[in-house]
Amino acid sequence: MSLAFDVAAKTDVGCVRVSNEDNFGYDLDHGIFIVCDGMGGQAAGEVASKIAVDSLLKYFREVAQNKARTNANITLEDISERARVLGEAIQLANTAIREAACRDEAQAGMGTTVVCVLVDQNFFSVGHVGDSRVYLIRGGAIQQLTQDHSLVTQQVGLGFISAEQAKKSRLQNVITQALGSEDPVEPDLDDMMAVSDDVLVLASDGLTRALSDQEILAAVTAATGLQHACDDLIQSAKDAGGEDNITCMLIRFVELQWYETCLRRFRIGRGR
Amino acid sequence: MAKLSLKFQERVLREVALSVGVVTIGRQPDNLLRIDNPAVSGHHAKVYWEGGHCILEDTESFNGTYVNNRRIGKVTLKDGDVVLIGKHTLEFHAEAREYDASAQPRTNDRSISWQTQLDKARPPQLDPTMVLDTRKVREMLAKAVSTAAGRATVQTLDIGEIPLAALSTNISGHRRIGTLTVTAGNTNRQHYVLSSKLSVIGKSEMASIRLRRWFAPRIAASIHQREDEYFLVAAGKNIKIKVNNIGVADGQKELKAGDVIEVAGITATFDYEG
Repeated sequence: MSLAFDVAAKTDVGCVRVSNEDNFGYDLDHGIFIVCDGMGGQAAGEVASKIAVDSLLKYFREVAQNKARTNANITLEDISERARVLGEAIQLANTAIREAACRDEAQAGMGTTVVCVLVDQNFFSVGHVGDSRVYLIRGGAIQQLTQDHSLVTQQVGLGFISAEQAKKSRLQNVITQALGSEDPVEPDLDDMMAVSDDVLVLASDGLTRALSDQEILAAVTAATGLQHACDDLIQSAKDAGGEDNITCMLIRFVELQWYETCLRRFRIGRGR
Repeated sequence: MAKLSLKFQERVLREVALSVGVVTIGRQPDNLLRIDNPAVSGHHAKVYWEGGHCILEDTESFNGTYVNNRRIGKVTLKDGDVVLIGKHTLEFHAEAREYDASAQPRTNDRSISWQTQLDKARPPQLDPTMVLDTRKVREMLAKAVSTAAGRATVQTLDIGEIPLAALSTNISGHRRIGTLTVTAGNTNRQHYVLSSKLSVIGKSEMASIRLRRWFAPRIAASIHQREDEYFLVAAGKNIKIKVNNIGVADGQKELKAGDVIEVAGITATFDYEG
């Protein structure tokens, strides 16, 4: 049984900031979904996040097509070929930002987080750098698929502070990796199988710091459609203060009947 | 002959030989060493010889001139000194020689500009998100570990006391690897080491745990690994999986050592290696 997916996304400047440094992008034909949260003063943050999104989209639209991307992509090694391709795309986005920063001094020191999901039939890979997140909502429960590259997450992981202390820590803003800051970056990559009715939530920290996991789950479950869920999530984050830019992208996997598969194939020209 | 190397983000932009006379540094075009950046004052600083010593003098610049991260008014340059002007660095070499990047202290534009801000005792501007230079931190960590045990702290960053150990990843060492031993049913092998993030059970070519029975599902289930934990997930609602003889209702179950799983006509035991 093959799976199809629906997507909705929205970004909002929030209630405090004057500019939106978040960016998102996706391409249904290539199954790539990206959310980036830029940083660096003087408008360079939004430049960095834009470059990252564009570079990733471009990679899958142009570069990856020339490669032998076979379906036999689950190997006995640590990660799949699909995840490796995603990792390579992230490295190239990093290089693109660093090169742009070198060309223009006003953009020196700019950087961005990235979370991206690459879907291929029933499987998807998740890649991330920084503290933007991916959640999976499955069977009425929510799980965080990414571990923030942040100081407090490392501290929690080592048992120095509790998860509650982490939420109040004044070091919350310190991330240990970002695109543009180091070469090479070390993205975390993961492979997963999608099941019908799974919902993936890609979000910047403007959302994840404002709302708890359970609040995100409740908003997505209660909403009538993906776009409504996006709107509700962003409104809730703004109601909670909206101190940062807020971005969320929702992807829902749906099981198609055989005739729906045929229809989609006919309409879009690709089987997914 | 002594020289100054103008660098930006570890790239050498220009090199200026320091002969007799004064080398003026600033944003305006009339400077000998021009740095066209808003953070640099029109006439920012100058370098000249005095009694056999090379002197660097700040010419009342707005953002200041820093030598080895200390703000200066006038200072005698020593070989290897790193001068920070705005976001650019100038390296002073007493003897002319081939530029050897590896011999120089690593000057990271970001971390230095960050320290500049701290030196001026003002909070980082505009965007509160900061990136910790992990490479630098790792170096510091390596030093700290070799010299002293325990929880040393990085205080120079002045963003609170960070336990150094917190910055080291993978402290606990190796992770546990799961295994799957098939006890009943037709599969391509009997014993599987679940070292990948995702192991697929099914008849499909992409499945690592390959089912050989006729009419077996193409993709029946997957075992997903996150850190030390393994989760069994059914590929669809029509596929029933059992763990220790109990059906898994919402399609996902964490596996414990010794668990017996049943899926698509095979029975297998999950365990950890070693």
